[in-house]
Amino acid sequence: MSGALDLGLRAQAAAVASGELDPGELLDAALARIEARNPALNAVVETFPERSREMLAAAPDGPLNGVPVVIKDEWPLPWRAQRFGAAELTVPTAPGESGPYRALRDAGATIVGVGNMHELGAGSTGAVSYYGAAHNPWDTERCPGGSSSGPAAAVAGRLVAGAVGADGLGSVRFPAAYCGLTGLKPTFGRAAMEGHHMAPLTTMIVSGPLCADAADCRLLGSVLYGEELAVGDPSGLRIGVVRSEVSEDVAPEVRAACEAAIEALRAETGGELREIELPDLETAALAGILIINSESMSGTTPQQLNRLSPELSPIARGTLKYRMLLPAVATAQAQRVRTLMRRRLAALFAEVDVIAWPTVPAPSPPLEAPVVELPSGAIGADQANARSAALANLTGIPAISMPVGLSEDGLPIALQLQAAWGADELLLDAAEALEQANGRRWVESRPPLADASPAEA
Amino acid sequence: MADGTAPADEFIPAGLAALGIEADEVDLAVMAAVHGLLWPPLQELLALDTEDVDPERCPDLSKAPSA
Repeated sequence: MSGALDLGLRAQAAAVASGELDPGELLDAALARIEARNPALNAVVETFPERSREMLAAAPDGPLNGVPVVIKDEWPLPWRAQRFGAAELTVPTAPGESGPYRALRDAGATIVGVGNMHELGAGSTGAVSYYGAAHNPWDTERCPGGSSSGPAAAVAGRLVAGAVGADGLGSVRFPAAYCGLTGLKPTFGRAAMEGHHMAPLTTMIVSGPLCADAADCRLLGSVLYGEELAVGDPSGLRIGVVRSEVSEDVAPEVRAACEAAIEALRAETGGELREIELPDLETAALAGILIINSESMSGTTPQQLNRLSPELSPIARGTLKYRMLLPAVATAQAQRVRTLMRRRLAALFAEVDVIAWPTVPAPSPPLEAPVVELPSGAIGADQANARSAALANLTGIPAISMPVGLSEDGLPIALQLQAAWGADELLLDAAEALEQANGRRWVESRPPLADASPAEA
Repeated sequence: MADGTAPADEFIPAGLAALGIEADEVDLAVMAAVHGLLWPPLQELLALDTEDVDPERCPDLSKAPSA
């Protein structure tokens, strides 16, 4: 039965629907695999077999009927409040029915566990968490990416075939990139967000699927969106390419793989490449940081910061206090930059269908020292990654990360595509076209840890 | 100040004192590191000429901006 866990999400769903797979046995296999592999990954921070079995017993005949999934520690469940990867949040939380929970339940899915995450969602590596870091199945000494570290490691390690993450500044796309998965950041407002502790305030965060390939993301995404993400035809795709740091100050092997993938996508779709100008990306990244900072710190008082839990990491404690000092005028200016970038993108999307650049400038760095080596020099991974991803959150557009190669060290390399507001389906179409172009080589690559041991077979 | 950076040993203690936030040596070290990363680009952000950018009122981020 454990071999069924090596199937993709839609294959598991189809096998359950046809009666080929018994969903109870599939759930037991997922729990057994978590028990076997999670010690090396720390991807899943909590399981609740009785709750999972209750979900399965009550599961409606939906598109994910009987399929086990993992949800990030960012939403409440009826039996568990989210911890946000931290010893303490400065906002109250409680168990409850979040939007993603309802969407999964109503689709017939079985939530089999909660996924680890970077503490307070404040990092692109997954190296810091109240639960201890999650580990990358491609190399357990490497970062899985963050902040949706556990969901990504769980899917890449084949504990489950699909997981729900959240993306406020790249937090679905970074772990997708580091773990060799496909991850979709929806257009703002399209995917379920109810129940998130920042939902009433955020203009940046969305829920999003992490799966092995684009078709699985389409399936899980349709559940989260509450509408079918229809298959379209990406023929004649106009691909915008930006010649700046975001595409050029990247590790040479990343640049080569992404340029090859872009050309393969162009050829597969009979499309064209267009060089475009998109200045101020670094400024846009900072604008995104300032806006999400103001939204996440809203309601936090100095008194709360004076009694932070000693179990919070020193980085979180110091950073939270620093974030209180950021000048309001900078956030106001960030809102102007948001408008500026939205208008620039609106003009650009009249000329191109997608914009392409590497999701992250270098493959996953070591957990012990999350620093990447770029042509411009060594730089912290968080700092390097922010400029690649924040634009989509700042402006609201959708984005997708997909695997396009492996580094010399055997680590995944990823390409990001971004499209106009509401063109989420086009991103999935384009990703599937690229999979076809490269013979699905990269979406079917498996990390060493995902090869079943004899004991698990 | 030649590089436009407000020294952490001035900005941070002043800000903490103004807000009544307590910080130990570890907090201060982390804050200084974050300040070193954020403050120079923040200065660039503030210097960006956005005079001609008419801000959107209550932007709908699920859609393209109105003209």
